[in-house]
Amino acid sequence: MLITVEDLKKVYKSYQRGSSFGETLKSLFVRKPIYIEALKGISFRIDQGELVGFLGPNGAGKSTTLKILTGILYPSSGKVDIMGYTPWRDRKKYVAKIGAVFGQKSQLLWDIPPIDAFYLNKAIYAIPEREFKRTMEYMVELLDVEGQIRKPTRQLSLGERMKCEFIMAMLHKPEIVFLDEPTIGLDVIAKDKIRKFILKMNQRGVTFILTTHDLGDIEHLAKRVIVINHGELVFDDALPALRRQLGEKKIIAVTTIHPLPALDRPGITVTNRISTYQVELELDLTAFPLNEFIALVNKSSTIRDLSLREPQIEDVIKVLYQAR
Amino acid sequence: MLSRSGAGKRISHLVNVLKATALSSYKEWAAYRNQMAVSVFVGPVFFLTQMFIWRAVYATRTTLNGLTLEEMLTYYGITAVIGYLTYDSADWNLQWLVRTGGFLTFMLRPVSHCFYAFAEKVGHRLLALLVEVLPIYVIFYFVFKIKLIPAAPSWALLSLALSFILVFLTNYCIGLSAFWLTRTEGLRRAFLTLRDLSAGMLIPLTFFSEGMQKVLFYLPFQFITYAPIRVFIGHYELAGITLPIPQVVALQFLAVVLMFLLSRILWYFGIKRFTGVGA
Amino acid sequence: MRTNLRIYLAGVKTALASRMAYRGDYFLSILIMLLVEMAAPLITILIYENGASFPGWSMYEALLIQGVFLLGKGIAYPFFFGIVWNTVERVRGGAFDLLMIKPKSALFMAIVTGFDAEDLGKLIGGATLFTLALRRLPPPGVGEWLQFLALFLITLLTLFAYGVTLAGIGIVWIGNIRVYDIFNSLTNFGLYPAAIFSKPVQTVITGIIPIAILGSVPATVLLGRPSPGTWRAVGVSFLFLAGSLSFWRAMLKKYTSAGG
Repeated sequence: MLITVEDLKKVYKSYQRGSSFGETLKSLFVRKPIYIEALKGISFRIDQGELVGFLGPNGAGKSTTLKILTGILYPSSGKVDIMGYTPWRDRKKYVAKIGAVFGQKSQLLWDIPPIDAFYLNKAIYAIPEREFKRTMEYMVELLDVEGQIRKPTRQLSLGERMKCEFIMAMLHKPEIVFLDEPTIGLDVIAKDKIRKFILKMNQRGVTFILTTHDLGDIEHLAKRVIVINHGELVFDDALPALRRQLGEKKIIAVTTIHPLPALDRPGITVTNRISTYQVELELDLTAFPLNEFIALVNKSSTIRDLSLREPQIEDVIKVLYQAR
Repeated sequence: MLSRSGAGKRISHLVNVLKATALSSYKEWAAYRNQMAVSVFVGPVFFLTQMFIWRAVYATRTTLNGLTLEEMLTYYGITAVIGYLTYDSADWNLQWLVRTGGFLTFMLRPVSHCFYAFAEKVGHRLLALLVEVLPIYVIFYFVFKIKLIPAAPSWALLSLALSFILVFLTNYCIGLSAFWLTRTEGLRRAFLTLRDLSAGMLIPLTFFSEGMQKVLFYLPFQFITYAPIRVFIGHYELAGITLPIPQVVALQFLAVVLMFLLSRILWYFGIKRFTGVGA
Repeated sequence: MRTNLRIYLAGVKTALASRMAYRGDYFLSILIMLLVEMAAPLITILIYENGASFPGWSMYEALLIQGVFLLGKGIAYPFFFGIVWNTVERVRGGAFDLLMIKPKSALFMAIVTGFDAEDLGKLIGGATLFTLALRRLPPPGVGEWLQFLALFLITLLTLFAYGVTLAGIGIVWIGNIRVYDIFNSLTNFGLYPAAIFSKPVQTVITGIIPIAILGSVPATVLLGRPSPGTWRAVGVSFLFLAGSLSFWRAMLKKYTSAGG
């Protein structure tokens, strides 16, 4: 097992702060501490070569988990073993073997070309010249940034910059790469290029752990999805299982010739009653078989048009996120 | 009749903007109040150095440049208080807004940026009054026994208010230079140092040579610190010129008006350039 | 050691390259950095020109002390004191994490990424003042030079310790760039001959808080009139260095346990 996480917990201490004049004045002298449980004990395992997507609403505990896994943060309790290291205890030795790309924190240097920043990493990770050249050329070609790495970073587009961030993070050939919203703000073409790059490197044996709000990233990349909400692990399985999470459901839109009856039966959830003749609903097939539904509607109102679709991954995610 | 009520509306609108902006800037800075409170340590420590240095200098004499040790220390005490009361970062804020393009959002507001920035200053200096100035004043008064009591309180207050506006306008003009220069860090720092030096923040201006003093007399910077201190003490002298207090305050007012006009001129050309380039 | 030196030089190179992107402003800034540092010497000169003095010290002796102080600062600020703003800004912006994912100590990474090209102006200023003042004074002998160099090395170590302490404060006191003000106000005493202060002040700045070591202690050796309590000042400096390093470790631990 490459990564083992057991019962990881993290509690933050923070201070309350009022906003009115009086409260502000008062808080000059007294501050009330608040304790926030960011992680309430999560466990999972990840194998070599996996590509795992971490999902969760803002403030769910994703960043905290990622920070602990990259050795930046101590947990309050729990065990983490990655390649035989405990990240926060063996930080220096450990981080030499991992890479990280933060979509919102640049490792490049704003005023100078990416290649100069690459050379800084070459020195930091003590990468031999030949290996450095080979890795860089390989990735530069794969990401198609030959023309960009010698221009000052500030002149690059966001997509070009992000590609260079990937090179920067992977020059030392890390075995595990952590990605924190790597496609945020990118256009479709750049996203596609970066996703293909990730898949390619994954095929070569690099393990990726990806947090994102972009479900496209998940659909295109992740074979496995971990969902964290309110500091707890609420889902951990392959992507198709996530779809099945809601049970066997269909989203149905139906238009009829005669007025529709009231559809308040177990298994039917009306999501949008557009008119007397037109409705959108969610049908739970285990409670109400499809053929019976069609027969019922046709008999009472005569179907003129009907469309059927699978619930989208977004529908599932929404349910998971909103659960308390 | 109609136009008067229109003007009245406009003034009450401006007052409301001033109040709202000042309050929000007060709250914003309140989050950094312990940064401000650093002054309660830094101010007195700086003063302590001055005290020991000047004590040493005065060990062999009773007056220097017409000032006794006590007057010299009072000079530095008032300098500190005026410094904290009138401090602002309007220059830095404005150049940051221009450089990042955040300035655009102000072009969309129905209030001039200059007025908005001034209201912000009022807000955070109000906080500074509580967090920095009052504690420091108390420390000076009771620990160092520097009795900071103005010779003519109303003139001193007026002079202080003018200095408050003058510092703002000067800094605002420096900030406006960002319309022409991409990086103004160096220029800003140079200007601020020169300003402090020619305002008498570092040493009383009468320490400079006769010729320098004449130059300093005609620069507006003396009205930032040096003139208010002299008004505070109740006796003005520079470059061999002594002036009665009301005249000093009147000259200070003139400096404010001139600086205001300068800021309007820079603004006019700066905006022209900004909208021209930004399009 | 050699790898670390290579990393450091790579850091210096990137910092210089970054700053060279705005060449015009850079040279202006260097010049200004130089002038800004001259405030204290200017006041000293004005005091002497007005017929007053620091009793017992000639103007050039006083200026030499300030020259040593500014030379030390001039070496510290560009080469390693950048850990202060670097840490403060990185912790505030979240980029401190980027130092933590590098396989080197966070302190070392903060030094590497904190080289400040602008502050080379301070070095030029300090060196100029030091040389100008020294030329107006009787030339020191070889022994005095050697003693001076040894003490000046300790000056630099002490400045490093101040940098580490302030950066440590910067980790927990988020976004507080005013740590520089704290440093400047405390070390302001170091710009003047320690002997002009009253006995208790002398004791504090020489034997308790390492301030006189920043200027007066090494400079007076060069002037051939060593300060009393030199050995004690040296000892205090080493204690301070050790203390600052463990303070940094404690603050770093706080960062990693609290999360920025």
